[in-house]
Amino acid sequence: MAPKVDLSTSTRERCVTGIQGLDNALDGGIPRGNTILVTGSCGTGKTTLSLEFLVHGALDGETCLFISVTEASSKLLTNIIPYDFFEESLIKKGKLIFVDMPVVYERLGLNKLEFSLEEVDVLVRAVADIVKEMDVKRLVIDSITSVCYRLRTQEKIRDFILKIGATLSSLGCTSVLVSEISPAEERYSLFGVEEAIADGIIFMGNLERRGDLLRTLQVVKMRGTQHSRTKYVLDLTSAGVLLVPLLKGGSVAGG
Amino acid sequence: MSVTTNVAEKLLTLPESSAVALQIRAEHYFDVIRGILDNFAVKKELDSIYITSTIPSQSIVNALQVLEIDMSNIYFVDCISQIMMSMASKHEHTIYVESPTMLENLMLKVEYLIKRTEGKNDIIILDSINSLAIHNNTKILSEFLHLLVNNLRAKKAYTVIFSMEEYRSEDISNMLNIVVDETIVAAGE
Ligand SMILES: Nc1ncnc2c1ncn2[C@@H]1O[C@H](COP(=O)(O)OP(=O)(O)OP(=O)(O)O)[C@@H](O)[C@H]1O
Ligand SMILES: [Mg+2]
Repeated sequence: MAPKVDLSTSTRERCVTGIQGLDNALDGGIPRGNTILVTGSCGTGKTTLSLEFLVHGALDGETCLFISVTEASSKLLTNIIPYDFFEESLIKKGKLIFVDMPVVYERLGLNKLEFSLEEVDVLVRAVADIVKEMDVKRLVIDSITSVCYRLRTQEKIRDFILKIGATLSSLGCTSVLVSEISPAEERYSLFGVEEAIADGIIFMGNLERRGDLLRTLQVVKMRGTQHSRTKYVLDLTSAGVLLVPLLKGGSVAGG
Repeated sequence: MSVTTNVAEKLLTLPESSAVALQIRAEHYFDVIRGILDNFAVKKELDSIYITSTIPSQSIVNALQVLEIDMSNIYFVDCISQIMMSMASKHEHTIYVESPTMLENLMLKVEYLIKRTEGKNDIIILDSINSLAIHNNTKILSEFLHLLVNNLRAKKAYTVIFSMEEYRSEDISNMLNIVVDETIVAAGE
């Protein structure tokens, strides 16, 4: 066979999300070790997408960790779409792990409403320890916005995301930080610093087109790979997240 | 030869992953459907995905039942019932799309059904280009057809697009000519 001509511009190893449409948009997957933001207003599918990313990783033999901040993970599990490809055994075998952030706070004695810089360090170290100990390759924190509320200042948020990003990356862990914004938001994160520091941003939203509401997804940035910047329409199905490009139809205003 | 057999025979001469426009006169509508779903798809052992934007899927299901056609390998994507508010009974093989203007969702449902019916090759029937043209402008519809047909080709599926004789227009012919490999006129001989 003739040698394959490789026209890709990046040689960084990929963390294949397993969501076909997204992997295509990302030219193969998220560059391994990246810390990315999955951002959008409520109900746009952030949790569903992030969870599917972990399930595929676990099916592939990687240890995957979901840190739930807003919702008790037990409740979360009862709400997820019954995927055709989900295997209960992933949880039993410890390939798919759920941790509730409030439990972590409690163990660390972080019970104040606002964390100090030292406490940020304690938190980062605690997460890093779990990742190291269990050799976690994929991590989701849902949501980072809730953690940021405890940090309050831009300075501490920057410190937290920079440190956690660097630590996870050095451990070879690819991480998704879920970020919540209000629909009218002009930016991709509530505090503004998250989006500047993250290695990538996947933006999920709703688009109204002549009375129809479509779920959309767009890769806004992704360090270490070329990627599509097209807006996609998505569907959350038992076969996972499916994507098709948004039709433009020559239309302009209102999509 | 009846319309039913004629359509099936013509389809049988096509290679897989073909996309065809099928010109139909209203009076032959159910003969054509039968020729595709009962003769052709059964012979080729295909799963059929029937997209309807013309009449509610339930009407087609009823007709197929009268004709005693086995429906175990037939699925529907129905994008007309919701806007016609005729969702009285839901067939287990039917997925609904809110409106025929949600072309992306239509594609997503087809993709989903193809995923769910893995193992067999598929035939996708689009009924019809004319009814979609009522709800969508030419530009977006052309873009949709182009994307749909190419996606389906890559999946080795057959695509059959209904075009009703009575509503022929130049716009529609042009749109179809760009994406299909062949145009078949459904008629008896
Ligand atoms: N079992 C299910 N079957 C089909 N669709 C579901 C199912 N569970 C959730 N959904 C869809 O997913 C949407 C919510 O997705 P998800 O929870 O991932 O969003 P989110 O962006 O994380 O929301 P939030 O900001 O509230 O956390 C729901 O609005 C619903 O339409
Ligand atoms: Mg959520």
